[in-house]
Amino acid sequence: MVSLPHRMRKLQTRLLAIRLGSGAYILPKDINRIHMRFAPRIEGGHMGPRKFWHHELVRLKYHNPAISMTTDRTARAEDPAVLSVHFTSPTPTQSPDETTSGPAFADSTPAAAQPTERVSTIDMKHRTNAEILDELVRMTKAQAVEATEAEREELRSLEEQRVKGAKDSAKSLEVRARVAREKQLLEQARGELAADAV
Amino acid sequence: MAAPRYCPSCLSLAFVPLTLFRTAPRRPALLLLPPPQNQQPIQLRAASTNALKYRRKDPAAASRRKKARSTYLAPDLKNVVQFSLVDAMRYLRASEVGRPPTSSKYELHVRLRTAKNGAVVRNRLRLPHPVKTDLRICVIAPSDSPQGLAATAAGAAIVGEEEVFQAIRDETMKFDRCLCHTDSLPALTKANLGRMLGPKGLMPSVKTNTVVKDVAAAVREMAGASEYRERMGVVRMAIGQLGFTAEEVRRNIRAFVENVKRDMQGISDQTAKEMHEVVLSSTNGPGLSLNGTFGSADAELGDWSAAKA
Repeated sequence: MVSLPHRMRKLQTRLLAIRLGSGAYILPKDINRIHMRFAPRIEGGHMGPRKFWHHELVRLKYHNPAISMTTDRTARAEDPAVLSVHFTSPTPTQSPDETTSGPAFADSTPAAAQPTERVSTIDMKHRTNAEILDELVRMTKAQAVEATEAEREELRSLEEQRVKGAKDSAKSLEVRARVAREKQLLEQARGELAADAV
Repeated sequence: MAAPRYCPSCLSLAFVPLTLFRTAPRRPALLLLPPPQNQQPIQLRAASTNALKYRRKDPAAASRRKKARSTYLAPDLKNVVQFSLVDAMRYLRASEVGRPPTSSKYELHVRLRTAKNGAVVRNRLRLPHPVKTDLRICVIAPSDSPQGLAATAAGAAIVGEEEVFQAIRDETMKFDRCLCHTDSLPALTKANLGRMLGPKGLMPSVKTNTVVKDVAAAVREMAGASEYRERMGVVRMAIGQLGFTAEEVRRNIRAFVENVKRDMQGISDQTAKEMHEVVLSSTNGPGLSLNGTFGSADAELGDWSAAKA
């Protein structure tokens, strides 16, 4: 079993990477849904959308858990790659959508709870995930999430530990390699001796 | 002091530190003369009785003396960062963003404090909100007998005897669970399918309650139930789909943990078992230790936990 400090260090690194980084923005309250449609393979300019999904969308979802964010990867390579943002009025008239979400939920149908007033789209084809993020921020006027002092401190200490760990690992690898080599020479010598004795 | 360096090609000492000869060496000195067979180090001084005392011990004996641990490690939890259910689900939902809500699953790992060689917790449970609802069940019973017909009516995917055996041998049959009627058990053992079904955990046996008299009822019960077993001191089971709300996940977790506790009490006379840690994870997310509370630590975001993924 992995040791507890090691496990906690890896976990904190991962959680901080979800909370902070490119894509950590708080979106305004009038956004209802974000939907991405792109191809499953990157040929044809679909690498930007895919990277956006894996990096930026994760952080956006963490900071805006109430916004439904879905993807549809059934487009063909020549189809356009589109990110659509569904806006609605920010009135707190939540329709009773507390029903249990059964397996019949289809992520490609725009089943919006609140009436969608307008939809804005971003063309993602042949664009990097940074460009897509910039356009999204410009369009929605999102607010960036800054790292707090505690988080910066934690990032620094984790980075220090990582660097120190790498150095220690290299040193101990050297020692272990030397010990293993000596053991190997011993075994060889004993083997030759046994052969000679026979 | 540098350790003795050996020339790799001729196995001779490249640099001979003086201390190697003065103190009885912990390993036999490798000079041009190979060491004597009885592992006595080469004495360049008058032989002393100390040599016998400080002779390097047999490595096999050294490793034999180190005792293996008899329980699984259970580290102190005061250094562990723990989360409430809603906080944990927030991270997991973020990690799984964009994936189909029925394909990614939440999974619960219950770490136990237990001995390594004791009885294991192993049972089946029907969750309040079932995770996997499409299960292919195979029933070994004559397809035209009343039992066989009842099984098909109850929803078994494959029913039969000889043709099923043949299909299993040909590997054309794919199913997730297998049941056997008590009367067909001799035929099953004769067909020698243990080789194929055993490793997959699909072989019907009396111990796992898969050899039954009333197959229809067993099929119905199995279709809704999830199995779990303890492996290496941890009980793991899928506890929800990504699309479940926090309330549903909480009900499932409660049912599962209570069931595991009851199983542990049941075998407590054979092996003592205790629950040590509960960790929630998902198909693509990190593993987060739960602290037992439900609500979020920061209440700014309002109640998003009922929203769909």
